[in-house]
Amino acid sequence: MKFPLGSSSLNWMYGRGRQSAAIRNLETHNPTSTSHPESDSDLLHTADSYSSIMAIPSLSFSRPTFAKLSPHPYLLTNLSPQSPSTKPSRTNGRAPHEARPVQIHTSSLSHAHGSALVRSGNTTVVCGVRAEILPVTNIPQYRPRSSLQPSTTASDEAADRAELKAYDLLVPNIELATGCAPQFLPGVPPSTLAQTLSTRVYSLLHSCGVVDPKSLRIWHDPSAEAKKTTGEGDASMQDDNDDDESEAEPPQLMAYWVLYIDLLFVSFDGNPFDAAWTAVMAALRDTKLPEARWDPDREMAICSRTRKNPLDVSRGGLPVACTAAVFQEKEYAEAGGLAGENRHWVLLDPDRLEESLCRETVTMVVDCGGVGGETRIRSIEKQGGTVIGRELMRGFAGVAEKRWREVRDAMQ
Amino acid sequence: MTDRRRVNGPVGSTNPPVFEDEPEQEFGAQKGIRTRTPTATRKMYLKTGVTPSASGSAYLEIEASRKGAVSGLKLSCTVHGPRSLPRSTPFSPHIILSTHVKYAPFATKQRRGYIRDPTERDLGSHLETALRGAIIADRWPKSGVDIIISIVEGDHDRETSKSQGGEAWDMMNALSGCITVASAALADAGIDCVDTVAGGVAALVRDEGDDTTPRIVIDPIPSEHEQILAACCVAYLPDRDEITNLWFKGDLPASDMELYSQLVEKGIQASRNSNEVIVNSLLISTREQQPHERHDGTTRMHIAFNLQR
Repeated sequence: MKFPLGSSSLNWMYGRGRQSAAIRNLETHNPTSTSHPESDSDLLHTADSYSSIMAIPSLSFSRPTFAKLSPHPYLLTNLSPQSPSTKPSRTNGRAPHEARPVQIHTSSLSHAHGSALVRSGNTTVVCGVRAEILPVTNIPQYRPRSSLQPSTTASDEAADRAELKAYDLLVPNIELATGCAPQFLPGVPPSTLAQTLSTRVYSLLHSCGVVDPKSLRIWHDPSAEAKKTTGEGDASMQDDNDDDESEAEPPQLMAYWVLYIDLLFVSFDGNPFDAAWTAVMAALRDTKLPEARWDPDREMAICSRTRKNPLDVSRGGLPVACTAAVFQEKEYAEAGGLAGENRHWVLLDPDRLEESLCRETVTMVVDCGGVGGETRIRSIEKQGGTVIGRELMRGFAGVAEKRWREVRDAMQ
Repeated sequence: MTDRRRVNGPVGSTNPPVFEDEPEQEFGAQKGIRTRTPTATRKMYLKTGVTPSASGSAYLEIEASRKGAVSGLKLSCTVHGPRSLPRSTPFSPHIILSTHVKYAPFATKQRRGYIRDPTERDLGSHLETALRGAIIADRWPKSGVDIIISIVEGDHDRETSKSQGGEAWDMMNALSGCITVASAALADAGIDCVDTVAGGVAALVRDEGDDTTPRIVIDPIPSEHEQILAACCVAYLPDRDEITNLWFKGDLPASDMELYSQLVEKGIQASRNSNEVIVNSLLISTREQQPHERHDGTTRMHIAFNLQR
């Protein structure tokens, strides 16, 4: 007898009705529902003696072994229990719409200006934000800003965002090759997944307008400098925008802060984007930039060690990412015809095993912290598959709202 | 040529911030004072099994000596294997070790890139030597094991100037931590070793004020001393009384052989201290695992196949 290793062979060999004959016995809760007289409930408890008496070859595997050998039927049996009294659960013991709890620790790194460690189940990611100074003389094609009034209109806000993007002031990078999972080993160029994740974080940072460019500007105000020499000046230069009554030279923008946002995966167990995005948000909220002034004599920005300003991330609100994967009953579903018959489950916050079995994933970024607590969808991304339509997406928004509350509570 | 596979940031070069005021007023503590006794190591925290998807893993944290000024060392190590080598590899009668040590970009004073630099390669090769002596390599012919260490936070001091050579001495502390954490992760992965190898550092230092007699301390921090004359990092197997790796740096009078052996002796003492931490941590993790395994054994699942079908 040959043990069918691939789960697909089980499907094709036994067809739909019988495909779980071999698997049903896995069900520790209700083993009586098997269709074979040989394999009744006794087998579960006295398998060793049983198999020695009977001629039936009995294989006994631990859960992780079976999950490794044929993951798809394993997850399927867990999700569709035989008796209606048992609730469908995933292999990790969670309900389909249950996410892993999130733990966040901030300010644990001393060399970074802001840092966060986010742990969601067995996925652990460290994020460090480090600020460096970019003098405007180092920017090719730099265009000086004409107006210094605080931006209030929509067009100004758009200009702010364009400024952030044109000068590339946010630099997020995700490192997966830390041995955080067996498939991510160092010594190779960044994998496609790492590149995709970095790009997704990069574009989301810009599209949500998380960082206010005002807090990244370093000004030089010659008039204030003059005042200071007479002894009544104010040392703070940064963000001193509305100081317009000075009749002499207007303040000049001399440099920008560049935020290097580096993420390091310590442990990887599925759903990297949600964890990474939560870490980025937590680290940015934790970031404190030293107060900087421009020294015209040395032509460089000088920072203060004692005075620090928290980075302004209030304008972008708190976008929270929520990812789910769609698990289908048939591993290789036909394109047409049987699509209605093919049952599916939407699994929130998938782990590594589930991610490997699901082709369709959806990520929704929501922010419920707006005016009046209304939910705003900041981004929707969906890849592969045809299961999630408009209706499911609407329902998923509710799930994402719940997730938003969980993450917000963890951040505070 | 920029790496197109990462987000590279602005084209123009950026500078790390330059500070104007003195740091002393912020930290209060005086520079150059060692509060521990010369034979005391800093406190360590070691935990195994931090990365469940790897065969073995460990996390090591060494406490910061002073609040704010010096960061403690934070290391995360994963072990993958033993696993079969790719077909193209020539036959090997024993296990092939590959070690990677990488600083996180935010681990040190200066931001690090993602490409491994020579220091990291150097640390990796030292680590490999240290571990090769401990693993019973001929139990796994034709197989390989990957040992990957991410230095989440380095032992770098913000104030130590480059002229003092702080980086070089910090590398020794980092190596000693790497050896200790890798040894714990190897044990967690269940790879047979003759003994648990542990790292230790000893240094000949001259303190501020007394410039008469240099003294030997273990687990040195460059900022706590006026000058470090020489240092040595040993990887030591306590049960066998063997040294698997010895790294000596600095200048000592060639005539005084006694000083050399004293330094190694003290390094061994430091290594014994960290070995105690490994053993305790492994004991704790095995105690934690035992009930779990028993539980796993009873909830075994059984599969029966019908021969007729």
